Amino acid sequence: MATRSLLTLGPVLFNWPVDQWRDFYARMADEAPLDVVYLGEVVCSKRAPFFEDAIPDVIERLTAAGKRVVLASPILVTTDRERKAVRDLVEAGELEVEANDLGAVAQLAGKPHAVGPFVNVYNEATLGWLASRGATSVSLGAEMPAASVASLTQEATRLGVETEVQVFGRVPLAISARCYHARVHGLHKDGCQFVCGQDLDGLGVETLDDQPFLAVNGLQTMSHTYLCLAAEIAELQRLGVGRFRLSPHTVDMVRVAKGFRAVLDGERAGGDLAAELAGLVTDAPLANGFFHDAAGAAYIGSHERMTA
Amino acid sequence: MAFELICPAGTPAALRAAVDAGADAVYCGFRDETNARNFPGLNFSREELGEAVRYAHARDRKVFVAINTYPTAGNLAPWHKAVDDAARLGADAVILADLGLLDYAARKHPSLRLHLSVQASAANAEAVTLFRDAFGVQRVVLPRVLTVADIKGLTAETGVEVEVFVFGGLCPMAEGRCSLSSYATGLSPNKQGVCSPASHVRYEPRGNELISRLGDFTINVFGADEPAGYPTLCKGRFAAQGADAGYLFEEPTSLNALQLLPELKKAGVHALKIEGRQRGKAYIASVVQTYRKALDAFERNGKVPNVDLDAVVEGARETAGAYQKSWR
Amino acid sequence: MLAGVALRAAARLGDGVTAPVLDRVLRTLASRHRRAFEAMAEMREAAVLIDPVDQPVAFLLSVGPQPRLRVAAKDAPADAGIRGPLVNLMDLLEGRIDGDALFFRRTLSIEGDTALVVGLRNALDGEDIDLVADLAGLAGPFRLAVPRLRREAARLTGMLEGARALLLAPVMGRLDALERRIATPAPAPRSSRPGREI
Repeated sequence: MATRSLLTLGPVLFNWPVDQWRDFYARMADEAPLDVVYLGEVVCSKRAPFFEDAIPDVIERLTAAGKRVVLASPILVTTDRERKAVRDLVEAGELEVEANDLGAVAQLAGKPHAVGPFVNVYNEATLGWLASRGATSVSLGAEMPAASVASLTQEATRLGVETEVQVFGRVPLAISARCYHARVHGLHKDGCQFVCGQDLDGLGVETLDDQPFLAVNGLQTMSHTYLCLAAEIAELQRLGVGRFRLSPHTVDMVRVAKGFRAVLDGERAGGDLAAELAGLVTDAPLANGFFHDAAGAAYIGSHERMTA
Repeated sequence: MAFELICPAGTPAALRAAVDAGADAVYCGFRDETNARNFPGLNFSREELGEAVRYAHARDRKVFVAINTYPTAGNLAPWHKAVDDAARLGADAVILADLGLLDYAARKHPSLRLHLSVQASAANAEAVTLFRDAFGVQRVVLPRVLTVADIKGLTAETGVEVEVFVFGGLCPMAEGRCSLSSYATGLSPNKQGVCSPASHVRYEPRGNELISRLGDFTINVFGADEPAGYPTLCKGRFAAQGADAGYLFEEPTSLNALQLLPELKKAGVHALKIEGRQRGKAYIASVVQTYRKALDAFERNGKVPNVDLDAVVEGARETAGAYQKSWR
Repeated sequence: MLAGVALRAAARLGDGVTAPVLDRVLRTLASRHRRAFEAMAEMREAAVLIDPVDQPVAFLLSVGPQPRLRVAAKDAPADAGIRGPLVNLMDLLEGRIDGDALFFRRTLSIEGDTALVVGLRNALDGEDIDLVADLAGLAGPFRLAVPRLRREAARLTGMLEGARALLLAPVMGRLDALERRIATPAPAPRSSRPGREI
């Protein structure tokens, strides 16, 4: 490998109590072998005030521990208040910003910046256009199959841009103006009482046949399964992917990070880590279907991959 | 200025029905994965699009071609060809979502009118301005996540023509940012142009009940005489942990924003769009006719007439959707 | 109504009688609705059971390279099934009503391969099908098919008791009318479709 694979940590997508949130990052700073940490409330602007005061300390702690901090912009930006928040983020200018909507992409033009997984980058033409405006890394959406990851990474490499792929955690599947957590509780978004804070890994959603299916996280709908591309790490590295993103959960993320670091460094077999994670994540099965061009909910084992 | 009425057509017959019923413009797509209604048996061959443009132009109406999926990495040619052919066949505009494809169209066909698809999910003035300035986009179809107040601000700030959905199926999720379908089936609106594809749908009788399934998942169970719906994933019945089962994301309702015409006018909206390229020509004809009459009456006296579209409405229920804040 | 009677007749006539007629019908429709039949020919080979629930028989439509229509038992094996009252099925075929709206109200039901049914529905809805006009225009083919149908039907009706013969009478009357039209030049295709004249 020409360059060392980077292990990154996406923003906490859930509404954790601020103390737990701060403690989580302190532990990540001290114990997890992470290279880049994306920080910020990206799902719901109503939650953002809870974390505002804690952010500077967390940035300092992570930076002191040698982690690069990137500030993530919100996914859905519609109101004037939300637009101002993005503007402030871009204009603060001290830290790199990850754009998660096209408005942020617009405002970051000409500055080096990251493009997050919530901006649609499906092909090399779009990637090239974003690179021409200052994107230095592109985190690919979770529904991207291996063939697309390959084409995109080839072009990115040519342009000196890094691609990133999420390798662990529930997959964000949709965003809405409507809050489903509030809806489940019979509340309106404006008077939501922050009920999303009750479900630290998301609220499970089952079919009428009692089959676990999705997870609700406020405005966001996620997979019930936890994405796990541990067994695909070697292939991703071969394709030239440079960054590997973990999405935070309440499971022991230090252990998760150490496991992935070991696989990235070739010290451990990916399949072995996948087996460990299947035991560690007790509330849902693992899935990797998107990468194998199958239903995202599926887990394609190594045997099926060989014969596919 | 009067609202422009933009109507769907999945087939040449539907296009003629829409034009005859009073559409100002009809939008349609090619018969492949380049458009977001890539359903079996639907859409236009090149020859049919040529005929469609002639039919519409002879009656002083317009044809917009939706090329609004995201081109597949390593295989851009079908999307480039779709843009080239739409331009060659005389389309009045192409409706695009992908940044790379917009860049291609703007450079290759500088005189071709570009509309931004709802699939691009440009939900704020900064995003819309980006498309205006970078590619010369003249119109934006807004995602169904905005309130009328949001729309008003955006229209004033960007100066771009704004088109909004007023009738038909309603995505509760931000369009173009939803992988629910591909999570259950492997096929997605963004990639293959299909949401909850028929190839993965099964209806199964279970006693007196009717079960609708998508991939490996039960999307709904209908009682003996209960109105049924197509198992579009987000319109299914599910149970959140610890709560009763129900329409968690959205009821099987149709958007109908007819009563909001005065507010949409004040918000500076330029064009009103009817959803439903997958619907039959009988549906198209009746909805377009009804909207045409309502719009004409509204332009005459500023009042919204009472009209009846119950017969064609999904689940026989209507909502004004995200345009009203209470929807959230 | 007339179609219902014809269906009851078809139930009593063997495949040897109905098959040539249905072949002609399909061929005529194909020549008048090229688009729909091209779409059908492009589908993978499969059979759709079209079951008018208020009638004694059903139809089996085979799609794929060589589309074929046959009278079939109501439980004939098929890849997909669409069931509903005959009048609604015919309205659907002719595009007079919206299939989705019918389905929402449970008037029609769908089984098996949904993509097949949706594809077929979309293909047919893309046409301006008018069964009476379409089949009246099929002068040439019917010149061969109708007399044979009549010969066979006559033989069969002779074997049926009076009530059943009565039931068949309207069909015979209709065929007579068709034969009279055969003697006159076929009507020109409807000209209300300038978009398709290219």
